[in-house]
Amino acid sequence: MARSVAITGLLFVLFGAAIFGWKTAVYGLPLAPSDTRGLWQVELRISVRGQGRQGSVTALLPAVAPGQRVLDERSSSDRLRFSIRARDENRTGVWTGWLEDVHEIVYEFRVQTDPVEVTLPSVAGIEPPAALRNQWATPTPEFPSSTQEVRDLLEALRLPPPEDGINRVRTLFAFVTHEVATVETAGDDATLTLTQREGSETGKARLLVTLLRGSGIPARLVRGLELRARAEPVETVWTEAWVAGTWIPMSSVDGFFASRPAGLLSLGSADLEGVESTGARAVGYRYRSLRERLRPEEVALAMAPDHPALATLSLYNLPVGTQSALRSLLVLPLGALLVALLRNVVGIPTYGTFMPLLIAFALRGFPLSQGLALVTLVLTLGVTTRLALERLRLLMVPRLSILLCVVILVVTALAIVGDQLGNRDLFAGIVFPIVILTMLVERFSIAIAEEGLREALLLAGWSLGVAVACYPVLRSPLAEHLMFTFPELVVALVGVLVWIGGYTGYRVSDLLRFRSLANEPAGVIPR
Amino acid sequence: MIWRRLRERGVLGINARNASYTLRWNDRSRYPMVDDKLITKQLCEGSGIPVPKLLAVANHHFQLRGFADRLDAHESFVLKPVRGAMGNGIVVIVGRDGADFVRSDGRLFSRDEFRYHAAGIISGLYSLAGHADRAMVEERLEVHSDFARIATRGVPDVRVIVYRGVPVMAMTRLPTKASGGRANLHQGAVGAGIDLVTGRTTHAILRNVPVTANPDTGLSVQDVPIPEWDRVLEIAVRATDHTQLGYVGADVVVDETRGPVILELNARPGLAVQLANQIGLRLRLDAVDANAPQPGTTVEDRVALGLAIAGEEDGVAA
Repeated sequence: MARSVAITGLLFVLFGAAIFGWKTAVYGLPLAPSDTRGLWQVELRISVRGQGRQGSVTALLPAVAPGQRVLDERSSSDRLRFSIRARDENRTGVWTGWLEDVHEIVYEFRVQTDPVEVTLPSVAGIEPPAALRNQWATPTPEFPSSTQEVRDLLEALRLPPPEDGINRVRTLFAFVTHEVATVETAGDDATLTLTQREGSETGKARLLVTLLRGSGIPARLVRGLELRARAEPVETVWTEAWVAGTWIPMSSVDGFFASRPAGLLSLGSADLEGVESTGARAVGYRYRSLRERLRPEEVALAMAPDHPALATLSLYNLPVGTQSALRSLLVLPLGALLVALLRNVVGIPTYGTFMPLLIAFALRGFPLSQGLALVTLVLTLGVTTRLALERLRLLMVPRLSILLCVVILVVTALAIVGDQLGNRDLFAGIVFPIVILTMLVERFSIAIAEEGLREALLLAGWSLGVAVACYPVLRSPLAEHLMFTFPELVVALVGVLVWIGGYTGYRVSDLLRFRSLANEPAGVIPR
Repeated sequence: MIWRRLRERGVLGINARNASYTLRWNDRSRYPMVDDKLITKQLCEGSGIPVPKLLAVANHHFQLRGFADRLDAHESFVLKPVRGAMGNGIVVIVGRDGADFVRSDGRLFSRDEFRYHAAGIISGLYSLAGHADRAMVEERLEVHSDFARIATRGVPDVRVIVYRGVPVMAMTRLPTKASGGRANLHQGAVGAGIDLVTGRTTHAILRNVPVTANPDTGLSVQDVPIPEWDRVLEIAVRATDHTQLGYVGADVVVDETRGPVILELNARPGLAVQLANQIGLRLRLDAVDANAPQPGTTVEDRVALGLAIAGEEDGVAA
């Protein structure tokens, strides 16, 4: 390869890779297609029976917490005034008014939850600020952290020194996990759970908070919802401990520590039940959840790098129709790269340079076997027609036009047959390559006449082989995501193509063709 | 490793041929000189290089009316596209049967078929990029009787690779039954390498595999002298001089009466010549680059240089 070629290619590759690296490393754009279904539609339906007087209903709303993002929320309040109170990370919905008969309150929100991994603080012994300590490290009736039982236990556990906060937390977490049984019907009380060595989920979480506070570590109880795909969400609680500036989530029942599973939605740590009411005769509520897909503008927001220029250039801002067209188009350079490799480095002969790629492009909407059957069918009928036309001695352009009509008729027939068979996709993707198929029919027919059926079939086989090789690339969601999110990769691909273009070494086909020359020189004929 | 062995033996691969020879030495703007057989013909005739006589040309469909009738004065002739590739679209007429023509393989070819085929040529069916083309009719050359021993069908030709005006390698292509009488290696013609110095055939291949005999006759195709060899090399070099292309395959037919005649020139000559000779091209091309002839060097001197390079290498190989 010439130096100039190597350098030119390198420049292109570096340019593309630099922008790609910038967007991934600095702005954290995801390398894999994000699951646009990592989104939940949650509904809270509250029924309040009033008794003809002023009253209110409060409910915990999704908190401001890492790994969860509320996209929109709305409430239908049924004659009541609705307001949201936000304090620290906690948000509470309050419905107030004259409570009479039955009020049906619906609060809906859509939320995206991602799994959370908390990096454990490496610096030991950052003292919690006084305010934090006052709020989260003091004994309360719910968390009686200064009782004799708690002090005895902490004594017996021989905790690591106070500077080693994280290992203190670990020890206490291990104690509650392994020494205290989880019994669904057992009590919710921290002291009872400790003395009886068994407790409910709430009891164990409260005990853990109590023990943490008893050992001087700020801790709190977090309420949340465990969102599930095919069942109603379950209300749950877990514990968070403050170590050196970080709140570390953990649950001895659900078995997570310093992480939070994706389906867990935090409703905050307010000292409240999920739903409470004043002035009402009775209140009932239930949650419902549904998995949902992101809307395009939400995807755009999520995929926009935090940089004005890059955000403007993000393809996710384009109209949806344009986006899906570009998604298909931007994968084509990858296919072209593959074709270049197969033709110039491997040395596979094909009909036309990009015909295999375009065939693969047309077939990407079908299962492979079905797609190949379609091409074969169209080709067979087309070539048969072509041979029949041969007798009429028609001129080339009208003849090609007739072939085009035949190909279209075959495709139309397929649409009807597909509809009868209940397979409406049968024809959707095939519209695009009609002209290509027509040219394939013509070239194939000429090849049969010129080179014989064997050669023609061989070349057609190679062409389809290359198409089959391109097919998975064009269908790959990963490839589509990468090329669409990082269109600069096309520039990098150009660089690689420059390299391939400057490759003057042997093709694999050369090695096969000239292999007899690799042997010792054959006997030289005497002069 | 095959790779290393091929490198050592100087085998030229397709990528290297394209990048280092055809792209480098053959200026795109000069391609019509060889792609258009009429231009090649004019070029050669203008400088006294023998070519097959032109009998008729049809540029447009309307000229096909009575096209066949105009050829009644000629017993045999060849219909071909002006810008054809790989010998596609060529029809050889060897005689008459009543009003019909007789093709070289004995099949009848009616005047209607003749006209239809010519129309296909004009429509661009056989042309390099499918562009509109012209149909031309040439005299049919008479195979030299010395060739008749090793080739029983069609018209065998001699392909000479001329690099920077120096002949570097040659082979003869012998049509077979399998190749349909065409001198086309990938269709099953036999290719026999020619020792540039002696003008005798050396090795032979059939579909890339070494053979020693013509599959049709079973007779050896090795160590057969090419008639008027010096003249073959001379007109090959002189014809390429006029194209100003640096890497050309010249196809020469030795006619019984006229002697060597330039059939056509090719700006992208294939690499099978290496198999036919069992010698890599690269070493010879490098030797030419090392002794690059100055502009104005006579044809004789350049042919002598080519022979010297070939002879030296053969000596090493033996």
